[in-house]
This record gives sequence, structure tokens and C-alpha cells, in this order.
Amino acid sequence: MTTSDRPDAAAGDRPADSPSTPGVETAPAARDGATGLEQTIARLLTIGTYAAVALFAIGSGLLLAAGGSPLDGGPRLDIGRVGADLGELRFDGFLWLGLLIVIATPAARVGVSFIGYLRAGERSMALVAALILGIISLSVALAIGTEG
Amino acid sequence: MAIGLLMLAGGSAAGMFGSLLGLGGGILIVPLLTLGFGLELRQAVGVSLVSVIVTSGASAGVYLQRNVANLRLGMTLELFTAIGALFGGLIAFLLSEQALAALFAALLLYVAVSLLRTGTAEAAQRQAEAGRADPGASPRFGLDLSGPGYRVRNLGRGAAGSLGAGVVSALLGIGGGLVKVPVMHLLMGVPLRVATATSNLMIGVTASASAVIYLFRGEIDPYVAGPTAIGVFLGASAGSRVAHRIDLRILRILFVAVLLYTAVQMLRRAVSG
Repeated sequence: MTTSDRPDAAAGDRPADSPSTPGVETAPAARDGATGLEQTIARLLTIGTYAAVALFAIGSGLLLAAGGSPLDGGPRLDIGRVGADLGELRFDGFLWLGLLIVIATPAARVGVSFIGYLRAGERSMALVAALILGIISLSVALAIGTEG
Repeated sequence: MAIGLLMLAGGSAAGMFGSLLGLGGGILIVPLLTLGFGLELRQAVGVSLVSVIVTSGASAGVYLQRNVANLRLGMTLELFTAIGALFGGLIAFLLSEQALAALFAALLLYVAVSLLRTGTAEAAQRQAEAGRADPGASPRFGLDLSGPGYRVRNLGRGAAGSLGAGVVSALLGIGGGLVKVPVMHLLMGVPLRVATATSNLMIGVTASASAVIYLFRGEIDPYVAGPTAIGVFLGASAGSRVAHRIDLRILRILFVAVLLYTAVQMLRRAVSG
């Protein structure tokens, strides 16, 4: 595989006649924009972040509107209740869903990278992504196992 | 209502300050929540981790679109930051609140001294230039991590530094850029701008590996995390827009004063418990 075939090949590796974006500050060798995999990941990160912030805003707004305070002490995570709380438009549901999205988005980004590298036949990078997913899974397993 | 708005405003200030000085909001969130709102240190660290993931997600998306961040290098190093964060997240529950407060005070002092030291940036730049002139080693383990105009070197030392960055991030609720950026820039020959963007990209995975431990141990309070994360997100966004209009020298001095004051308060907490 040549460098330009890489799913995340640096823009500088591509032909010089690729279009650039005027007015956007970028690295000198990176004016051609991102590759397909990077675009997909960027979109995923942006959507995940904005969705979480929107859920936080709704949840916090409902909490304050109900006369509650952030220092009241929120409930512990009960994944089974998140759906029901959302259905009843309770602030707990929005806040917990926002938190879960925040924490899951980086793992989803690694999952997308794994698929992207696998499709491109980049076994080494796919292995790196798989190992990261393995560590995150181990972290979740240990967290559940040592739940206080 | 007032406390919620104060938390939002405090988060915004921390996010803006961090963004303007390239430190991320985490370094100020933990003192804000512990000293300002009376939260336990571990709860503050949990909320701070959530906040740094949010700000990292927003900015990393932009960095990737502009092709400034090195995805391959970031993923390779975050393998080690994630391992460090896993250990750090477990160690955090073995340490006392006083020990964590003392560690945080040490971190604040370290950052304050680093900001005061002049000439470091120039030295770093020279070293990085030397790194770029270095033809570099052949790709190891079949991984070509170099980018346009630079070659990545010292992967082993970079991995060790990343491991340490992960532990520090999980213990103290910071993004870990304080460790990762110098490691990539000085040791690995990565240009400063790429190192900063790549570090930002890595924060999400690093922080989420330990955040799940805090989450399941009941140390992330959703009521606190919501307004704080929104505040940090808004502050960091505003900071990146006004950065070019602000005299960073004055800001740096002000920031050092805040860090030193906070370090003293953290030390008092460490001593008095």
C-alpha cells in the first residue's frame, strides 16, 4: 500500500492540485483537508459532543426549573431507568444519557477507526485500534466488577 | 438556581482560561469544585474527566477536519495513555483524599513554574527543529507514524511518557496534555501544532478509560457534571475565538497567580484533611 492509499493519509501526500480551503488556517502541508476516515471521525466526534451538550442543557434546565440544585446529589447510574426517565421527561434521564454519550463517543471513534483500517488492509493500525477497544472493555469490566 | 448558574459561570471561566493558555479546563475544574463548591476530590476529578472529554471532542473534530492532528500517532500513543488511565483510575480509589490533594497541589506548582520559565519555548523549538532534520528511524512494528515534513522518532520513550500521562490524567482529572505535548514535541520530533492537536484527539480515549471507573464507583454526579461541562464547553469555545485579541503575557501572570493561590489551598486541604 502506498502512503496516499492510507485511509488517513496526510493531505501533503496527495497531488498538489487538490483543492484547498481559502481563509482556513491549516498546517502548511495539510491544506487539502482531511481524508475519508478523518472526516467520518470528525463528524462522529462533533455529533457526539453536541448531542451530549444539548442533553446536558435540557437536563440542567429541567433540574433548575424544578427548583433543584446541582448540589442536591444526583442518583447513581441505573442504566435500566434511563429510558423510563427520558420517557417521563425527567432531568435524570437527560443528564445520564448525556454522560453515557460523552463517555461512549471516544470508544465509538476507535471502533470506526478499526473498521476503516481493516477495510483499507492496514492490519497494524487495525490491531492498535482493537487493542485500545480491548483496554476500554477491560476498564468497563473492572469498573462493574469493583462497583462500590 | 444560583448555584447552577455559578457552576456554569465557573466552568466557563475555567474553560476559557484553559483554552487561552492551551492547558484545557481540567486543571481549574477540580479546584473550582472542591474549594468553591465543597465537593470531594474524587467527585471533582470524575466531573472534570467528563468536561475534558467534551472539550476534546469538539476541538478534535475541527483538528481532524483541518488535517492538523496525526490520527495514526494519536491512536498508537493512546494505547498507552489508556493503559495508564486504567491503572490511574484504580489507584485513585486506593489513595486518601489528602494524598490526592497533595498530588494536585504539586501539579499546580509544576504548571505555575513551567509557565514562568522563559526561554523554554525557544529551546523546545530548537530541539524540535533538530528532530525534523534527523532522518529518523525506520518504521517500527510496521507502523509509519510520520507526517508531512516531520519524522516521528523515539516511539518507545513516547509510549512511556504516554503511560505516565494516562496515570496523571486519571488520578487528577486533567487531559494530560501537560505531559503529552512535551513528550511528542521534544522527544518525538513532532511539530508543536501537530503535537497539541494530536494530544487533544487522545484526551477522549484517555479520559473515558478512567471515567467509566469513576462512573460505576458513583463518583460522577450528573447534576454537577451537566452545568460544569456546558460551562467548560462554552468557555473553551469562546476562548478559542478571542485568543488572538488577548495579551497572553498578562493572562499568563494572572493564571500563575491563580495557580499558586489554588496550590496553597490544596496543600492546606492535604494537611488538614
